[in-house]
Amino acid sequence: MDAPGKVTGTALYAADFALPGMLYGKVLRSSEPHARLVRIDAGRAARLPGVRAVITAADVPDVRYGGSVKDERVFARDRIRFAGQPLAAVAATSPDAAAAALTAIEVVCEPLRPVFDVAAALAPGAPLVHDAWASYTALPILHRDGNVCNRARIVVGDVERGFVEADRVFENRFTTSSVHQGYTEPRAAVAQWDSSGQVTVWSNTQLPFEIQTTLAEILQLPPSKVRVIVPGIGGGFGGKLRIGVEHFAALLAMKTGRPVKVMTTSEEELTAAYARQPATVAVKTGVTNDGRLTAREARLWFDTGAFAGSGPGVASVATLMLAGPYRIPNLLLEGFAVYTNKTNFGSFRAPSGPQANFAVESQMDIIADALGLDPLELRLKNIVREGEEGPTGQVLTAVGLEECLRRAADAIGWRDRRPEVGRGKGIACGWWTTTGGSSGVYVKVNPDGTVALNTGAAEIGTAALTGAAQVLAEDLGVQMADINVVSADTLSTPFDFGAQGSRTAFAVGNACRAAVADLKRQILALASKHLGVEESALALREGSVVGAGKRATLGELARISQASGGGLIAHGTFVAPPTPYDTKRVEGHVYPAFHSPSFHAHATDLSVDAETGEITIHRYVVAQDVGFAMNPAAIEGQIEGGVAQGLGQALSEEIVYENGRVLNANLTDYKMPTARDVPRVESILVQHPSLVGPFGAKGVGEPPNIEPPAAIANAVASATGVRITSLPITAEKVALALRERAK
Amino acid sequence: MTRIALSLTINGQTHDVLAEPHRTLLDVLRTDLGLIGTKENCLEAECGVCTVLLEGAAVNACILLAAQCQGRAIVTIEGLAAPGQLHPLQRAFIDHGAVQCGYCIPGMILAAKAYLDTNPEPDGDGVREALAGNLCRCTGYQRIIDAVLSAARALRTSPPSQAAR
Repeated sequence: MDAPGKVTGTALYAADFALPGMLYGKVLRSSEPHARLVRIDAGRAARLPGVRAVITAADVPDVRYGGSVKDERVFARDRIRFAGQPLAAVAATSPDAAAAALTAIEVVCEPLRPVFDVAAALAPGAPLVHDAWASYTALPILHRDGNVCNRARIVVGDVERGFVEADRVFENRFTTSSVHQGYTEPRAAVAQWDSSGQVTVWSNTQLPFEIQTTLAEILQLPPSKVRVIVPGIGGGFGGKLRIGVEHFAALLAMKTGRPVKVMTTSEEELTAAYARQPATVAVKTGVTNDGRLTAREARLWFDTGAFAGSGPGVASVATLMLAGPYRIPNLLLEGFAVYTNKTNFGSFRAPSGPQANFAVESQMDIIADALGLDPLELRLKNIVREGEEGPTGQVLTAVGLEECLRRAADAIGWRDRRPEVGRGKGIACGWWTTTGGSSGVYVKVNPDGTVALNTGAAEIGTAALTGAAQVLAEDLGVQMADINVVSADTLSTPFDFGAQGSRTAFAVGNACRAAVADLKRQILALASKHLGVEESALALREGSVVGAGKRATLGELARISQASGGGLIAHGTFVAPPTPYDTKRVEGHVYPAFHSPSFHAHATDLSVDAETGEITIHRYVVAQDVGFAMNPAAIEGQIEGGVAQGLGQALSEEIVYENGRVLNANLTDYKMPTARDVPRVESILVQHPSLVGPFGAKGVGEPPNIEPPAAIANAVASATGVRITSLPITAEKVALALRERAK
Repeated sequence: MTRIALSLTINGQTHDVLAEPHRTLLDVLRTDLGLIGTKENCLEAECGVCTVLLEGAAVNACILLAAQCQGRAIVTIEGLAAPGQLHPLQRAFIDHGAVQCGYCIPGMILAAKAYLDTNPEPDGDGVREALAGNLCRCTGYQRIIDAVLSAARALRTSPPSQAAR
């Protein structure tokens, strides 16, 4: 819908936004990973030419904020917890002047003993990243203890008994690296205060209403004094959910009385953003000789970094992913979010999905190989089916998993799994949620018969609002071209839970359906009066009300209403109904069931160079149960992009840390796939309609990102016999493993 | 710092600006001239969102000094087609669903334009190579490559009435 503006360069993004008299803000970040902050002196910086303000912790309200644990401050006050933590911010007349001022701020600190990874953080006597963790405000259901800011758990049956029933028990350990969302538009915000004491922030956040609440908390203002507008977003993938630079812009603008723009650098993105949590996963699975899974005990530890952020929730989701889309009668699954002296890792497209899936789907192939079973048959024997229970007791409906597996396997030519030496095929499957939350829309008929859709959700490039508009057009009987979207302004648009969790088309689409139901009542009542025809004899068709040989266009009716009734407008809302589950099975769990779950299988065919370890992907197939394919081309676009990102995590991407500092904080050394690296992705859209989604649709945006690492690892093992258990699966790693085996 | 007077030829029009000698073409385009179709991201010539045409060649405006561009023809995305019109590449990107968030697209289209100008009959591998300096995180590139190949066909059969200036 918005493509013409994007191809001609006229579409406005937050990074493009500017106001007259605007200053440029930059943030001074700590170079120490863990230290006591002794003194910070900004005097010299403040006197430099062009500098209009320097602020530190002393200049801002002493507020701790955060999602499930309030453990974060705007600037370090007495303690530095990661290399990259904000210490001060500067506003100046040019970006160069601001950057120069940063170097003139004097920081004195005393290094403290750090914890750089999960193992160090959990070791007996480990330093606490937050000494006062117990006093922090937090969601009461979290299980917190020292450096663990949540332990989520699912318990079903008795795993010990399940292991006894098994013929074989497999124990494997996997690790994954931190990867960045890689959106091409940096995080950016412009803030301006008005004379009434209201601040307006133009930002590329995926969640304007959450940013409004967080900013209000930080600034100690009622939310109505904070207006957040999203002009346009150049990619998010979960990295633009939480507050990024909005607070720096707002605080600097307050101090200077001028509009201030803050935009991140690539270095800040790779050292101090919300990249995916690195994970360590231990999976123990019991299985009978004929391939029936009897029990699984699995633990996943997330490095959440210096603050909890998304960690406690993502650790919860991880437990559902550790179960896999399998029927396993005995489960003990735990997800941990662990503090370390690193950046606050966060949500990245299907948070926890790739990490947990890489572990459990790699192990499924390890089991199949050991038992002499075909990996596809092992999966088919154990997958969940229609009407069965998920791990927490939710009843699964619209389960298209078998069809996904069979069609992906058929497409890749599964029967011939090792067509030549050094070449092999791999398969992996999974499930995912369609995130709930509520959505509101206003739908208004314009005097020319076109329709305005006013939503609090932002379009982040997934065409999700196009999907919602399609639902609206379909229900109201108008053309897509006749729908205009107004979006994402906390002051004027209805509430929306935000562009996250594959929910936008689903929830906003359903809110549109509710609004159309109301609007139709208004339209028919007005048309009946105007045409002198009983309502029951009237129907809405192709932009007009017709009946008894008479006709009134929507535009005509809108004009009549404008003259006499305040116009045709309706408010529609939707909230995903709760998914019932067995509360006795879960502890510390923020996300105990998957709403309208989607199911998917990925299969790939690749070759491995025996000398260099280099991987060449010949084919990549995705079969995804999307419920109902509202807009097939857009869904395929989501699949192709999600796979490309997943292949980056599988093969090349890693934020490399050494002693708490990032070694590759630039796009030269942080390697995202280019046009030369991504194979053609073949999409198969499987459709088992959800009971809740508009026309049966399920969330589609996140799932394609989940299975690529496992599918690649399994294909590499099939091609070479070598099992790589850590991400990324670089050529170097494969070559070393091949050499090790040859010894 | 001392500013110097620059005369830049952008999209066929002359722009006179006063700018410090260290300022980049990208900065001058976006900040002084309001040509925001040229995007800003990594500032180290790795991502390609700032791609413009300089004497017909695709270059990263983020590492090019504005002062180096005097007397040389610059084309930005705003100059690829007359207002209200689309270049065949732009049309093809829309038709092939090659646009998601769109932030990489202006640079992508200009990199493709430079390539097609010298390689009017490209194959997929050639296009992949030509676009390898432009990162896209949304699409997985396939639809972009299809769009460029399709635009190449369209350009061979009916060149645009108003090509880039």
